[in-house]
Amino acid sequence: MTNTSRDSDVPPEPVVEVRHLSHRYPVGNETVGALTGVDLTVNDGEFVAVIGPSGCGKTTLLSIIAGLLPPTGGQVSVFGSDTRAARRSQALGLVTQDPGLLPWLDVASNVLLTLDITGPHDGADEYVTELLERVGISRFARYYPGQLSGGMRQRVALARALVHHPRLLLMDEPFGALDEISREEMRFELLKVWEQEQMSVVFVTHSIREAVLLADRVVVLTGQPGRVKDVIEIDLDRPRTASLEDSPRYLSLLADVRGLLVSETDRSDLVHAIPGNRR
Amino acid sequence: MKRKFQRNILILLTPALVSALLLAVWETWVRVRDVKEYLLPAPSAILAALLDDPGRFAEGARLSLQAAIGGLLLASLGAFILAVAMAHSRALERALYPPALALKVTPIVAVAPLFTIWFGFGLAPKVLIAAMITFFPMLVNSVVGLRSIDPRAHDFLRTINASTWQVFWRLRVPSSLPFVFAGLRISVPLSLIGAVVAEFLSGSDGIGQLILIANGDFDTPVLFGAIFVLAAMGILLTASVALVERKVLFWYQSSVRL
Repeated sequence: MTNTSRDSDVPPEPVVEVRHLSHRYPVGNETVGALTGVDLTVNDGEFVAVIGPSGCGKTTLLSIIAGLLPPTGGQVSVFGSDTRAARRSQALGLVTQDPGLLPWLDVASNVLLTLDITGPHDGADEYVTELLERVGISRFARYYPGQLSGGMRQRVALARALVHHPRLLLMDEPFGALDEISREEMRFELLKVWEQEQMSVVFVTHSIREAVLLADRVVVLTGQPGRVKDVIEIDLDRPRTASLEDSPRYLSLLADVRGLLVSETDRSDLVHAIPGNRR
Repeated sequence: MKRKFQRNILILLTPALVSALLLAVWETWVRVRDVKEYLLPAPSAILAALLDDPGRFAEGARLSLQAAIGGLLLASLGAFILAVAMAHSRALERALYPPALALKVTPIVAVAPLFTIWFGFGLAPKVLIAAMITFFPMLVNSVVGLRSIDPRAHDFLRTINASTWQVFWRLRVPSSLPFVFAGLRISVPLSLIGAVVAEFLSGSDGIGQLILIANGDFDTPVLFGAIFVLAAMGILLTASVALVERKVLFWYQSSVRL
């Protein structure tokens, strides 16, 4: 997988630039703040994790970056233009905790659908097979989503998001509903794909471990409405492996992130908080 | 394998046995108590009436079924098209809901004579009355179905810049199908009611006319024959819908079995 064409036209500016972002949504006759004064920059090829307690606006932030939700204040630019234009460029990939696969289509057709949306392609079937192989589910090409485990479904969601070689992959607690073993597997699978694709990733998670293990930078959001408490650089070597979790540096970074989260709130459910924030 | 086969036999055998037992009790009761035939004919007498002129029942069933299916298809199609508009715009939904509701709550028997005045005695008024009675359940289910899309799937399609049209065909229409089939299951027996009511009022043809004539003649065995034929038609239609549903909605987990 080379992306020579992309390398040449990559602008020097960041892939995502969020400035003074705030968002309020209506509840009855009032509006409630979801985000306030959020600044965030994601550089080309960077893996950024966003972590915070339930209700801190992580999902809202991701939806705004994805161009699914117009913010009520501040500026967001993706690929140097506004989010709607970024969406039209079809260089976005989205993977959510419940990935919303189409249950009436088998795995291959679910992936093929993404390709179909942009019109007919030569060798589409071969390409889909190749994608399914890359995420390790080619054996299940003719299975329906209802027949797959949660981990398998997330692999399909990943394959589907990779179809157009996105420059920016947006992930909203993608492994949150998986069992620990599948989650572990998927994390390293994702890192492998990210290194191959050289794309940027914004990864929303509840898990401190996951954030530190995967990301170049961890953005800690706190409060209601959510704001950026701090950004921690994760200067761990790559490629990252499971053995990393024994290293002192990893443990101290883990403690840093945890400290930021706990000092702000006395909630004990930070790591295993209920999934599915309000939008 | 063998055990499964045995279980299937048992599943089929039990209701057949129960039905046979009921008929036997009925038959015995009529014979022992010497019940008058015009009050309650024995099953054997009903069977004799059916076999006496099977062509008459078959022709009646064909015409009534034609009207019921015609009305059901017309209503389903019309309701779905209207539902697309209503699912698209809340304002339109608010505007169209009251007349649709008025159509629903008006007793069909009261409106049916009008249809005979307007459309005569042929197939047309029967189809229209069957369509009228099935329209509302199809409309409501279609609107709910078209709105029932998975927001995650919708978000994903939007991030890859799918058009409204693509979202409609790729997501909205398939998502609506479980609800459309639920509507069909409600509407199948209604469509038969519509067809028979139309035949009662116009007296032109079909099972409804057969019942009307048999009633006038105090020919209770024929009356019962017509009722059994109607029941069989209802079962046939329901089973057909269930069969198609099972094929089409193989992916739908909570799909209700017949």
